[in-house]
Amino acid sequence: MATATMVLTRVKVQRRFGLALRVTVVLALLVLAALPLLLGGDVWAQRISRAAIYAVIGLSINTLTGHAGQISLGHQAFVGIGAFAAAFMASRLGAPLGFGLAAAGVAGAFTAVVIGLVALRVTGLYLALVTLAFGLTAETTIFNWREFTGGGAGAFAPRPAVLASDHAFALLCLGVLGLVLYLDWRIVSTKTGRALAAVRNNERIASTLGVNVTGYKLAAFSLSGLIAGLAGGLFAHWNQIVQAMDFEFQVALVWVLMTVVGGLRSRLGVILASAFFALLPLTLPNFLSSLPWQPPFLNEAVYHVLPPFIVVVMLLVVLRFFPGGFGQLLRPATDWLAGKRKQ
Amino acid sequence: MGAFLALGLFQGAVYGLLAVGIVLVYKAKRVFNFAQGEFGGVAAFTAFAIVVGAGLPYWVGVVGGLAAAVAMGLIVERVIVRPLESSSRTIMLVALVGVALFTIAIIVLLGQPIPRVMPPLISGGGVNILGAGILPQQLILMAVLAVLAAAMAWFFKTDMGLAVLASSQDTRAAQVVGISPVAVSRLVWGMAALLGGIAGLLYAPVGIFTPGFMTLTMLVPAFAAAVLGGMTSLPGAFIGGLAIGVVQNLGIYYLGQQLKVPGAAELGVFALLMLVLLIRPQGLLGKEA
Repeated sequence: MATATMVLTRVKVQRRFGLALRVTVVLALLVLAALPLLLGGDVWAQRISRAAIYAVIGLSINTLTGHAGQISLGHQAFVGIGAFAAAFMASRLGAPLGFGLAAAGVAGAFTAVVIGLVALRVTGLYLALVTLAFGLTAETTIFNWREFTGGGAGAFAPRPAVLASDHAFALLCLGVLGLVLYLDWRIVSTKTGRALAAVRNNERIASTLGVNVTGYKLAAFSLSGLIAGLAGGLFAHWNQIVQAMDFEFQVALVWVLMTVVGGLRSRLGVILASAFFALLPLTLPNFLSSLPWQPPFLNEAVYHVLPPFIVVVMLLVVLRFFPGGFGQLLRPATDWLAGKRKQ
Repeated sequence: MGAFLALGLFQGAVYGLLAVGIVLVYKAKRVFNFAQGEFGGVAAFTAFAIVVGAGLPYWVGVVGGLAAAVAMGLIVERVIVRPLESSSRTIMLVALVGVALFTIAIIVLLGQPIPRVMPPLISGGGVNILGAGILPQQLILMAVLAVLAAAMAWFFKTDMGLAVLASSQDTRAAQVVGISPVAVSRLVWGMAALLGGIAGLLYAPVGIFTPGFMTLTMLVPAFAAAVLGGMTSLPGAFIGGLAIGVVQNLGIYYLGQQLKVPGAAELGVFALLMLVLLIRPQGLLGKEA
């Protein structure tokens, strides 16, 4: 009797200790992640905004590819439409930033619905082809439409006084990222998430279970478009000027690859991979040109193809050896932090 | 107007040539082959290095370029496609996008992103067709497309082609009657790479070419051509290619020149793709959606 109580107490104490340890580790990691924002000055505040915007884009692609099993190869178009919508609202109509971001999201979602209505009725990955063609059209036609985007000169997207500082803007970006994370979590843990999983695994079986296959694919794509538009709105105000050349077609390909490298359906993995690829083009060229010895084949032009090259190499390694991406690599650590016990 | 029509037809021949390779892989594997354009890119850059860089005869360049394309096809099959055989088609498409970007990056790293000029097979002035100057190279391209589309359509009637189709429908049942899935996979990717290589070699001398030229400008119309033709039909790919070329150029003529819409060619392709999926998702000559 007494021994049993003692054992139970010990287990309880160990559990409490374990919980305390896990909470401490999480807090320590959060503090560590916040350090660049607190100590890094404006440069790091800008970089963190960029990383957060990329993470929102990654989660947008995760909604479509991770949850619904469809691919968009023209996501830069949705981000770009959001960005130009936000810039239009801010500079032409003088609307407050909140309205601009809302318009950006609505514009992205609307475009996705129109394309999805046509492309998602057909079984297969036709959405990939249609979005690919749409991305090119957006780049050459929509983004060069002078009244809407200011043509080649670009559209301005000034920030309001409250968000003028880079630190305040970084907090806004992180806030939006939090919101999108919450959305993603709610999708996965409700009926919608289970229906999407059924659609992703086998459309025919899903439809025999009474799941509206086209409807759920369309819902996922329009939500993906909404999130992408929102990311575009943030991007517009981050850069304060939007130009057609920011949304070239290779960008979308890199985004898709980056999300897969992060690990489809792994929120932490997608965020980490997106942040990594957001910062790589900013830091890698400086790092390479500061090296004391320059390899003969390196030069300015090469620096620009190097980040996509690294994405692709990582993708091929990920697909071959750990298909779950960063999320799979981090699984032991995240399971422990979430308090899951070994079977 | 007539000139735009003729230019469109001959521009469409390249799309058709790429679309034939896309249809081949789709028929056999149910995969959209995003790397199809870069088979041509590799062939064109290898041939350029041999003919212009090393100064060797043209036929050496052609053989070398095609060999490089086929080697790439077999490597992609062994390193990427076969290990991912059991994963979803979504992942397979992402992997093939990766292959295309990887190839472009390698070409840029080795050869710098500068435009190059490849000498044509037959030099000399253009032929006047409906008021458009058509180069001898483009005439060759059209003839090769017709021959290859017919040859591929014939291939699927032979025992070997039927084996590929059988393996595509039910790999295990095909294996039971002695059709090796590995051999089929190698054959399909090798042939697709050869077709892509031919497209690249023939198209590179038509204008100047830069790294990624086949993927960045040719691949999307080629996919649209394949969808228009029905995704599984080789005559469809031929007709679809020419039709896309014509639609692009009519777009440039009506929208671009008269209404001053920027990017009229891309808009035409996108609109046609949407229209096909809306009205006739099984394409012109396809039997199934």
